[in-house]
Amino acid sequence: MKRLILLLVLVVLAVNLPLSASPKAVAQTPTLTIWTDDQRLPVITELSKQFTEEYGVEVVVEPQGTENTMNTMTQGAATGEGPDIFIIPHDNIGQLVETGVVAPIDLGDKADSFLPNSIQAFSYNGELYGVPFAVENDALFRNVDLVPEAPKTWAEVAEIGRQLVDEGKVEYAFAFPDLGYNYYPVYTAFGGYIFGRDDAGSYTADDLGMDSEGMIAGADWANTLIRDGYASENLDWEAAHVLFESGQAPFIITGPWAVDRFKTNEVPYAISAFPAATEDGDPGAPFIGVQGFMVNAGSENLLLAQTYLTEFIATDESMQYIFDNDPRPSAWLSIAEATEDPDMRGFSEAGATGQAMPAIPAMGFVWDAWGSAGLLITQGELAPDEALKQAAEQIRTQIEEAK
Amino acid sequence: MNKQSSVVPAFLTPSTMLRLAIVGVFDAALMWLILQLLGDGNYPLAGILAVVILIISFCFSLDQFKPYRWLGLSLAFTTLFVLYPILYTFYLSTTNAGYGHILTKQEAVDFLERQQYVPESGQQYKWTAYRSLEAQDDYVLWLQAEDGTTYLTGLNTATKPAGLDQEGVGPADDKGIPTTIQGYQRLEKRDTVAMIDQLGELAFGVSPDVIRITSLSVAATTQQRYTYDDKNDTLTDHETGLVYHPKEGVFVTEAGQELPPGFRVGVGTDNFNRFFSSAALRGPLFRIISWNFAYAILSVMCSFALGLFIAVLFDSLPGKEIIRALLIIPYPIPALVSILIWRNLLNPDFGALVKLQESLFGTAPHWLTDPTWTRIAIIIINMWLSYPYFYIVSSGALQAIPTDMLDAASVDGANAWQRFSHIILPLLLKIVSPLLVASFAFNFNNFNLIYIFNQGNPPIAGSPIPAGHTDILISFVYRLAFNSAQSDYGLGASISIVLFLFVAAITWGQFRYTRVLEDQTA
Repeated sequence: MKRLILLLVLVVLAVNLPLSASPKAVAQTPTLTIWTDDQRLPVITELSKQFTEEYGVEVVVEPQGTENTMNTMTQGAATGEGPDIFIIPHDNIGQLVETGVVAPIDLGDKADSFLPNSIQAFSYNGELYGVPFAVENDALFRNVDLVPEAPKTWAEVAEIGRQLVDEGKVEYAFAFPDLGYNYYPVYTAFGGYIFGRDDAGSYTADDLGMDSEGMIAGADWANTLIRDGYASENLDWEAAHVLFESGQAPFIITGPWAVDRFKTNEVPYAISAFPAATEDGDPGAPFIGVQGFMVNAGSENLLLAQTYLTEFIATDESMQYIFDNDPRPSAWLSIAEATEDPDMRGFSEAGATGQAMPAIPAMGFVWDAWGSAGLLITQGELAPDEALKQAAEQIRTQIEEAK
Repeated sequence: MNKQSSVVPAFLTPSTMLRLAIVGVFDAALMWLILQLLGDGNYPLAGILAVVILIISFCFSLDQFKPYRWLGLSLAFTTLFVLYPILYTFYLSTTNAGYGHILTKQEAVDFLERQQYVPESGQQYKWTAYRSLEAQDDYVLWLQAEDGTTYLTGLNTATKPAGLDQEGVGPADDKGIPTTIQGYQRLEKRDTVAMIDQLGELAFGVSPDVIRITSLSVAATTQQRYTYDDKNDTLTDHETGLVYHPKEGVFVTEAGQELPPGFRVGVGTDNFNRFFSSAALRGPLFRIISWNFAYAILSVMCSFALGLFIAVLFDSLPGKEIIRALLIIPYPIPALVSILIWRNLLNPDFGALVKLQESLFGTAPHWLTDPTWTRIAIIIINMWLSYPYFYIVSSGALQAIPTDMLDAASVDGANAWQRFSHIILPLLLKIVSPLLVASFAFNFNNFNLIYIFNQGNPPIAGSPIPAGHTDILISFVYRLAFNSAQSDYGLGASISIVLFLFVAAITWGQFRYTRVLEDQTA
């Protein structure tokens, strides 16, 4: 028994010593913690050194993936975990706001210096919750050796593709990574949509457009090419990119992430805005993903974090620095308008009409059903209208059950 | 303690001291963790850790518990890593935890009570802070209203109109802000930014017209927006006058208007009811369960048959060491890599196997899009992944079969097949049947293969909920509960429990069956 007592006494001492020895130090200058992904880590770290120099506030930038950040924020932020500021794609905003872990940000007049749809993407229930800095969206890629001029309508695209196949220059007229996210610009060109907007301009789950006429007309466009043997019956993201970069398909719809691999494979590509359904129609609109900074509502440095964003990040110099060192289309209006890079111009033009990806909870039910519908169409199991009606029913059922 | 002739007490020998030191460090680390958990309000986990500390301290410091040392250690870790997660899953399944319902009610109330608002009679100002020359934590603010009038306010001091000509107010800078105020020093922007959260905690002026700093540019007369009434369990919004009641984990008004954030509440068996009444069960579940069984049984049988066949074939061949080494190659390659390679080999556009089949037969099966062929492909891949395991096991087991029995059978005139089916196979099954059961249980929930190969696709046409022809229960549950942004932990936990009971029942039945088998052969 002596042993046990000795042990417990020692342990209690050991645990209590460090606590009693260090009286709570009074933090004179606070430290800001920022979480970002690996890719932007060096950019934000270097940039923040200027903030430290200017205001004497130390900034610690830590690498954290989106998933990890979301887990910490939604589950731990209420108990004081998590960073003061984090970088996150906008479509997580719904979950963050409804969990009550992010603080609104007042940009004042500076909001006009951003692309309007990037500000809209970071707004929820009429309040702004983030400072956007980069915009990502799909664009139409074409092989310029085969197609020198950007086509104006989808009918034209199909015609050019069919002709190239008939001449034996390519295997397929078009490479489809999927009939969902990367095909959205075709759906929208024909008038399709996923969720309608309510009076306040927010997406609403009450208006699901999955089986609208525009969506069906959009799916018909791909279905006709596939049924006639001008596009693959196999719907595969990787396979579609291989088809394009090996010159076996003249067109593909994809995003900035594919640029590197196309350059590596030396395929002569050009990026352009999306064609329209008819000569005088509106061009197809891609989904827009916006990257931005958000502030942890439970942060001890709440005002400082907001000040960092409104006074330091939302400036010409900082936005230019981020753009120069992490080249993707900027959300800062003056940079977006001034860019000379043809790839970036292409993405910007394609994204000019873009729609922020819905951040409402019901969007979670869309992806799986939509993906299945795409597969059923390409495999010839169901006609476009049947497949999309089925997907719409599946989504409505799940929205209803989640209520 | 038994007395020994040694002068050193038994608990001070070096080995005892070392043991106590190690246990001490371990206990100290756990206690530190417990203190952290108590601080976070996570009492269940803190309690479990306290149990772990007690078990380990008792077993490793008292001689009379010496025989239970290693048992105690495993018991402690079983409690921590098996029992606790299971209990926690049960707990989660009775709550609405998930999207928008993460906080506890107290945390949600705290969050809401921190919100401030500017009442209609309130004013917004631009502000400049001045720090007292004597007291470090005394400040005054110079305020500029939108109409240009200026004020001076301090801690517990009423806000008064003030002009630049006033006594004690120093000369103005180019923006019309005084550079000095008697007894106070103006904070430069650099210091203001660094101290802004300290300033933000201060209440300037006197109640009810309290002025707070709300951002670097704005100070305003603010009031607490929400107050929670403990007795009536209501939350009042002072800005709009709305009264909220908690309902199903969120505050709502009479008219049904919700106020985020929601919080976590117990919902009894709602999650189970939801699962059992969901479209998922009306739809493809029967089809998925039958394929799940077929998939697990065929995977085990085919892999075992192939492994055994190769083991028998190469049992007595020259150079079998080299052949063995080659045959085991699929084993150390990560399954993820193998599955992805197979997927590419079977790709209809550029897959090597598909091209080969096309050149040989003029046509190739639709390995990724035809339901039957996709299932066959999955069984073949699973054979490729797991035959080396059964090959190794069977090779070892074959060595254990006494050769005199086989010799005796030969003398009695049994041919090779009779020797195999009447002697080798029954003896082998006795050894490997527990492994077959374990392999079945593993394959029953083998999510990786199904998901990586084809995400459960091709999809089933006409299903009321998205599902695929090769979906097994676990990949279907993943679609149902986790593949959406809903993060419905409560529903996910309840489905896991149903699945857990299901697999546990099957495995229990199988072990009973194999015991019967063993009794017969023994």
